[in-house]
Amino acid sequence: MDLLQRFALGEIDAFETLVRQFQGDIYAWVVRIVRDPGIAEDLTVETLWRIYRARQQFRPDGSFAAWSRRIATNLALDYLRRKRPERSLLIEPAGATPPDRLVQKETRQKIRQAFRRLPAKLQVAATLALVEEQPYDEIASALGISVGAVKLRVFRAIRVLRKKLNNLGVTP
Amino acid sequence: MNEHDDQQIREVLRQSFSPVSTELGKDLWPAVLHKLEARPTPVPWYDWALIGVSAGVFLFFPHLILVFAYHL
Repeated sequence: MDLLQRFALGEIDAFETLVRQFQGDIYAWVVRIVRDPGIAEDLTVETLWRIYRARQQFRPDGSFAAWSRRIATNLALDYLRRKRPERSLLIEPAGATPPDRLVQKETRQKIRQAFRRLPAKLQVAATLALVEEQPYDEIASALGISVGAVKLRVFRAIRVLRKKLNNLGVTP
Repeated sequence: MNEHDDQQIREVLRQSFSPVSTELGKDLWPAVLHKLEARPTPVPWYDWALIGVSAGVFLFFPHLILVFAYHL
């Protein structure tokens, strides 16, 4: 019996092997969305706990990586919905050096402020596609929507963001 | 909005957000195990409902226990 079948049957040793194999991938995906290492660790643990709880729904012939990423993305989305707007996505770490000086500090602050006010669904799609430059098909798979729907969300995010920036007096 | 505008806002966003490290610094298995032990999988409400209904049916119609046992 292979690892995934053993996991689906509830074998804790099989699950431990899967956790060690996939925890890095899940964390990397979540931290790209929430951009806070501590929160991303908590959400990764919660994701793995939910994966074990939902093991009977997993089809051993399916992709564990895709399934786990879908669960992680939903949790990250829930987190963003709950935490908005007081503590949300894209909080700049203290002392972080900007990658480029072209955009001034105040402008960057306004852009982040406008970005975190986007609806969570648009934020996630825009962060993964525009900031993290992840492939659209991977984003679509993680969100459980089509590539076309991801493109639409990114398009809407840009449009809303542009409008918000104009209101804040920022012209990118 | 055209391709140039999209590219422009893409660039502005990239400049506005510092890159995050995607490296996981520690093994999360102990935390997962702790959570599994602390929060055991709950029995869903419909399982409890099924048990309750079955108990009620067997209490009022005991002969159905034999019918049920035959179909097991």
